[in-house]
Amino acid sequence: MTAPLYIALRFATHRKRALFLSLVGVVFGVGIFICTQAQTQGFAQFFIDSTIGSNGALTLQARFQPRYEGMVVSAKTKGGTSQRRNYFEGITNVSEIMRVSRQFSNVIACSPVLRGSVSARAGFENTTAELFGIDPTSHLRTTDLAKQIVDGKFDDFRNNTSSVIIGNRLADLLHVGPGDAVQLLSPGGEYWRFDVAAITRSGVTAIDSARIYAHAQVAQRLLKKPYQASMIIYKLRDPGRAPTLASHFEDLFQHSAQSWQAREEGNLQIFTTLRMSVAITVSLIILLAGFGIFNVLTMSVLSKIREIAILRSMGYRRIDITAIFLWQGALIATVGSLLGCALGALMTWGVSHIPIHIRGLLYANYFLVDWDWRHYLWATILAIISVFIASYVPARRAAQLQPVDTLRGSSL
Amino acid sequence: MKGDISLSCRDIERYLGEAEERVHALRGVSLDVKAGSLHAVVGPSGCGKSTLLYILGLLDEPDAGSVQIGSTPISHLLDEELARRRNELIGFIFQFHFLMEDFTAQENVMIPMRRLGQMNEDEMRDRAAALLKGVDLGNKLNRQSRHLSGGEQQRVAIARALANDPQVILADEPTGNLDTGNSQRAFELLANIVRERAKALLLVTHNRFIADACDWVHEMKDGRIIVSHPHGERISV
Repeated sequence: MTAPLYIALRFATHRKRALFLSLVGVVFGVGIFICTQAQTQGFAQFFIDSTIGSNGALTLQARFQPRYEGMVVSAKTKGGTSQRRNYFEGITNVSEIMRVSRQFSNVIACSPVLRGSVSARAGFENTTAELFGIDPTSHLRTTDLAKQIVDGKFDDFRNNTSSVIIGNRLADLLHVGPGDAVQLLSPGGEYWRFDVAAITRSGVTAIDSARIYAHAQVAQRLLKKPYQASMIIYKLRDPGRAPTLASHFEDLFQHSAQSWQAREEGNLQIFTTLRMSVAITVSLIILLAGFGIFNVLTMSVLSKIREIAILRSMGYRRIDITAIFLWQGALIATVGSLLGCALGALMTWGVSHIPIHIRGLLYANYFLVDWDWRHYLWATILAIISVFIASYVPARRAAQLQPVDTLRGSSL
Repeated sequence: MKGDISLSCRDIERYLGEAEERVHALRGVSLDVKAGSLHAVVGPSGCGKSTLLYILGLLDEPDAGSVQIGSTPISHLLDEELARRRNELIGFIFQFHFLMEDFTAQENVMIPMRRLGQMNEDEMRDRAAALLKGVDLGNKLNRQSRHLSGGEQQRVAIARALANDPQVILADEPTGNLDTGNSQRAFELLANIVRERAKALLLVTHNRFIADACDWVHEMKDGRIIVSHPHGERISV
């Protein structure tokens, strides 16, 4: 143990109450930071998982054809205009695109979907729904549909081509459950009857209140579409790289591709804003704790002027004196961060058991939290920076004290 | 080695304060202190005794003149180097002992050794214990210094000054805060150590009997050493 560290430990334990108050500030700052980040990230992550689990991390949709412009350009036309395209509904050559897509290392699975709007009717209830015509086997590999089933069985759907899976909020609206019948209106004006095989809940209200899954071939006949699929959805190993892959797929397949980040941009911005707002608020708490530490260490320096002079007279350098007070700060930061992390984990666990009733953008019965080690890392880094700044000024001040002034002083 | 000059200064000038309050505290002070000898500096308050002591102890820098410890001239060194020399070559004893109150007697003596960094924890403890036994505090090693009597605290300070086996011991009124009996005991202890271990001792004192017992007495007035007496000669102030 170095001499400054040894003396720092002795000085710190001498002022137990001040040390305790400093620690409390850091512990609560770190703990609250972790807990609030876990909450805001929890809701955001739940939304992301749900939307990716239902709609994939990437979707390939309409085919496009670049529209080339003539060489003569109007004088008023600005250069660098965006590329114009002609879009054509549906995916052409689905099997070939899927075969090539699977060659990409980031692609885990992909599945064709035929999407269209229908009118759903059950009893006296009638509403507009979004029909997803799917291949059960490949869709199961690509999405979390099986996990999202809250009533009924996926196998009942797989084994019965005239069955459907319905989102739970839509099922509530139509007052149907597994075993009931639902009628879907085709563009030709005729109602087709389906058995409800299962009820699904993704947690995202927009999906759960509108979606109906049917077998792809049946959906194609019902919607009277000339093509097998209106989009291909992808499950990726690293969803964070979806935008890059989307751009690459557009160039490769000449179909418009959209990452989940682009698809959910609006909602993600809300979550990001919320997280930043909370992070700023909690950072202010840590900053206040830093002021507290600044005061404690400044008082410590003032109360140790005589000891500092003694140490200097015995050959301790200015840097040793600085180190003594920085070590005290480091001690507060280390112990405070460790205890704060433990408190943060405890608070996060506690919050995750608080019942709430969210039925808006998301579906949740308890506070959603995200257990992410990076929250602990950031909280610790923030605490260390804050404590270091708070410790540095008193430490420098201690080092600048002239021992002769103290030793000569009459106050001693 | 006994008889060699351990500490010397030449033509030391020192001004204190700023502008109109500026005081010429030391005016061309020169001094030689040999190993194994005891030197007392006496004089009225404000005559520059402590200022001289702090300059010789490398805690303050002279405005002019030079200081030499052993054969090494100490001038214009960086603060870090001055601190190193202070740690290795000089032991300080102050009037109010200036111990770390929350540290035990043994821990106080170990403080200079920790900075020196040449011994491990056990070696430092053993050496501190031996030094404290040498000042008759072998049975109070683990007592917090605030719980020691004034005389005991001053003996701890003496042991601490010897911790790194310095060439020079500087003492600023080391008995100024003790009663007559304790003053006598502390001084005798210090004198014995200095003579046995061939240290150079320079002490500032107002105590005529202690000054008389030193090998040399230097009388200061208005920032100058006005006269230096060998052992036994009467002091005029």
